[in-house]
Amino acid sequence: MPIEFKKNRAIFRDEVTAEEAEGLLEWLQTRPTAKADLSTCIHLHTANLQVLMTARTGVSNWPKNAELRAWLEPALKFEE
Amino acid sequence: MNPLLEQFLSESRDLLENTGKNLMQLEDAPDDQGIINELFRSVHTLKGNSGLFAFPEMTRVLHAGEDLMGMVRGGHATYSRELADRLLEAMDFVGLLCGEIESTERIDASRSAEAQHIAEGLRRLMPNLIPSEIAAKVFGLNDASLTIANALVLPIDYLSSGLPFASIPEAVRMAAFRQCQRGDSLHWVAYKPERECFFHGDDPLNSARQTPGLVWGRVLPSEPLPPLSELDTYSCALGFHLFTTAAHEELAEYYRHIPDQVEITVVDPLWLVIPQGDLDGPAIEFGVLADLLRLLKEGDRTALKQRAQTLLGGSTAELWLSSSLRWLICLLDIDRNGMPHDSSLLRLLIQSIASGTPPDWTGSSPADSSAAEIADVIADGYMDANPPRPLSEDDQIALDQILAAQRQVLLLDDRPAWHVGRIKSVAMVLTNIFQAVGDTSARSDVQAALTDALSTGNNTLLLTLLDAWLSASKDSQSEPGLRCRLDANDDASDRTVGSANIGPAPENIPDKAPADEVVKFGRRVEDSLANSRSLKVDQAKIDRLMNLIGELVVSKNALPYLAERAESQFGVRELSREIKGQYSIINRIADEMQDAIMQVRMMAVSFIFQRFPRLVRDISRKLGKEVQLVLEGEQTEADKNIIESLADPLIHIIRNSLDHGLETPEVRLAAGKPATGKLIIRAIQQADRVVIEIIDDGKGIDPVAIKRKAYEKGIIDEAAIERISDQEAINLIFAAGLSTAEVVSDLSGRGVGMDVVRSAVEKINGTVLLESELGKGTAIRISLPLSMAVTQVMVIESDRQLFGVPMDHVVETMRIPRSVIHSIKQSPTAVLRGRIVPLKSLNSLLGIAAIPQANSDDELAVLLVQAGTIELGLLVDGFQETIGVIQKPLSGFLSNLSAFSGSALMGDGSVLMIINIREIV
Repeated sequence: MPIEFKKNRAIFRDEVTAEEAEGLLEWLQTRPTAKADLSTCIHLHTANLQVLMTARTGVSNWPKNAELRAWLEPALKFEE
Repeated sequence: MNPLLEQFLSESRDLLENTGKNLMQLEDAPDDQGIINELFRSVHTLKGNSGLFAFPEMTRVLHAGEDLMGMVRGGHATYSRELADRLLEAMDFVGLLCGEIESTERIDASRSAEAQHIAEGLRRLMPNLIPSEIAAKVFGLNDASLTIANALVLPIDYLSSGLPFASIPEAVRMAAFRQCQRGDSLHWVAYKPERECFFHGDDPLNSARQTPGLVWGRVLPSEPLPPLSELDTYSCALGFHLFTTAAHEELAEYYRHIPDQVEITVVDPLWLVIPQGDLDGPAIEFGVLADLLRLLKEGDRTALKQRAQTLLGGSTAELWLSSSLRWLICLLDIDRNGMPHDSSLLRLLIQSIASGTPPDWTGSSPADSSAAEIADVIADGYMDANPPRPLSEDDQIALDQILAAQRQVLLLDDRPAWHVGRIKSVAMVLTNIFQAVGDTSARSDVQAALTDALSTGNNTLLLTLLDAWLSASKDSQSEPGLRCRLDANDDASDRTVGSANIGPAPENIPDKAPADEVVKFGRRVEDSLANSRSLKVDQAKIDRLMNLIGELVVSKNALPYLAERAESQFGVRELSREIKGQYSIINRIADEMQDAIMQVRMMAVSFIFQRFPRLVRDISRKLGKEVQLVLEGEQTEADKNIIESLADPLIHIIRNSLDHGLETPEVRLAAGKPATGKLIIRAIQQADRVVIEIIDDGKGIDPVAIKRKAYEKGIIDEAAIERISDQEAINLIFAAGLSTAEVVSDLSGRGVGMDVVRSAVEKINGTVLLESELGKGTAIRISLPLSMAVTQVMVIESDRQLFGVPMDHVVETMRIPRSVIHSIKQSPTAVLRGRIVPLKSLNSLLGIAAIPQANSDDELAVLLVQAGTIELGLLVDGFQETIGVIQKPLSGFLSNLSAFSGSALMGDGSVLMIINIREIV
């Protein structure tokens, strides 16, 4: 599973494909305070990013991949 | 070529043919839902397949076609001739691309514009539905899922508002600026993926990340994001801004799949020069600014740079001032196209330091003298320009507080690593304060004290100075808790790295998307395996099989000779009988095998007929004629080579019929005929020949006109005008030389003569005959052998040699007494079956010095042959049997022997020369 859903935390691993987006959306709809852990994520499909942006999901760990982080950080930083 | 691509091409051709056929059918039955469905499926399959390969041009056109057909199918658009024209044009274009792919395995990028044009043409025919609605119609998506899709199309029009370069961190911009001065181009890409892009397997984020030469990028919602509960995961609502150093061609190539979704703007490097920062910092001293301008005016760039560096060293990195200075240094460092930057540019930058607004580069031309004048005035007169002014009470309190805070800083007695920075900072604060209050004389004092403090490591002088000012101030109350900013830092670059600072593009991340398509493709292959029983084989393989069977037939024929030798030479009658027995079995199998291979090579004439509806439609529409095309006997089969070589002659004939045979509706009505002309193309199998008839009910051919033309061209003489029948006259149009300019306007169009048709037909051993009745119509009959592989020849003997004469030319064989031969003008002739037939000796025609041998009854063997309209009696020595041979063309220098059309191997291994009757008579 490229996304592992813990109690209140979604752990993104490696490459997260478009197929995951629907599940992610459903999961996030019931957990408004959930956080995303992107530390080992290499790439996530646009559909997933869109879900995270719409849900304004906080990020607990940014990707180790600096280039991906540079993309995601401005898009997923929400003033709390 | 990889096998998948090969299969794609071959399937595409089939599908294109299908599409063309369906479109033609739809013309007659525009409401036939079955045909519309089939059409949609064909286009859809084609599009899907093309998506497997990197042929975006093809996919784009097909996609538009598919959408259009989808709407026709859904009843949202109606079928029209215009629509058919467009679709046919699109399919022709796709066919063209297929050809290009076949020869080069790629599509030239130059086709992109054409593809877009065609796709737009198709889309124009669609009623004004927004794309998501189209998608909903085409894919049958549920409308509810698309409710948020109604706020359509975010224009990628940033040009009017200026590109948002300010959102790119300064360090990135500066690096790019330096890079572009080394020759790299700069481009801004606004990428707005279409909503349905996820369905196409696109991952816009991945595309954006992989953009060549990317230096910076960001992702933005391209429209307000909906509430989470209403989000459609499969509708892309994000867009991208990308800043890249790649060349335009490289970007165009990278985004060639989706040129309509990206907007690429060439970036002038100067657009990057945007000073940014905190304007609330201490204002720059007017004198400093004037100083910079003066140095610039004097052209002392080294000094200017030094001055700027000193200033930068003393100011906080986040300030507007620092940012401007960094850019100033950067511009001073880098030459523009090998030339130093124009001073007017630098002046604008320096002025922006003071104004706190980004320089307006559009007005940066050197001719802009007013700006230059103002700057000069400032540079010359700065000393008097800003006299000291009294401070307000609030300002005075603030001033004192600041001075007190600085004093406390100086009194700190620890010596941290940043001690030097601390002292510099205090000095800068003091300088700025005195600049603000207009006390310019104090500046030099501070500068001197700073130099002293830095060299001695002792800040006493600075402290004394500060104390003096503090005591000079009226209210010298200090507040210990007051903090001031101590964050001076010389190294600005660490701090300015912000958002997405992206280095070289990372390793390719395999795109997951194609997986869907592959699965789809696999499924489709299975489908076709399940219901298709045909096999596609390269023609070369069949040809080889054909050659092998030919050799087998020949070597098989050697067995009877062997049997005879066994009996006559070795006297083993038993063995001879067994050989004969075996021979008959092998013979039967070989015959069947030959027949089977012939069957493989057989093709239905529909292969060429199927293109006629389109041809007839196009030409008749162009000529403004109404034509009903009737195709008959499409299932009639003949050898592939025959069928293929028939295509061109037939097209010529049909063109002629349409152009010159059939009349316009008005003329037809006037002549008492129905307005719609009728063109019948019919294929019939007659024994071992295929007859193709092209019959029109047009105006027919006037034999008198033909005779006159032929006479004018010297094809026939005066006597012949009277002698030849109308039928013969009409067939004169096949004569070479009649297809000249005047005749072109009369009989044949486009400079293609009927003689070309005749020679093409004769090349494959066919004959062509024309019948016409003036005012009633014309019929052209082409008779062709079923197969070119086996030729029936009659073996004849002459001067103890054997020759073969193709049976096509043999009319009859007979023996005539020498007495019935008469000489007319030294030419021997005989009256055969009531006709006068010229006689010629085969020996003399072939240059053999021997006279024809008569048999014991003094009768000569005459082979009556016909070549075209010429009938001739060939005097030979004797006749033998008729055999089927596989004729091989003569090769090498033998191919110059026009008297022989080829050679064939006899069963006993001897070579039989086949006479080319047409050449020798």
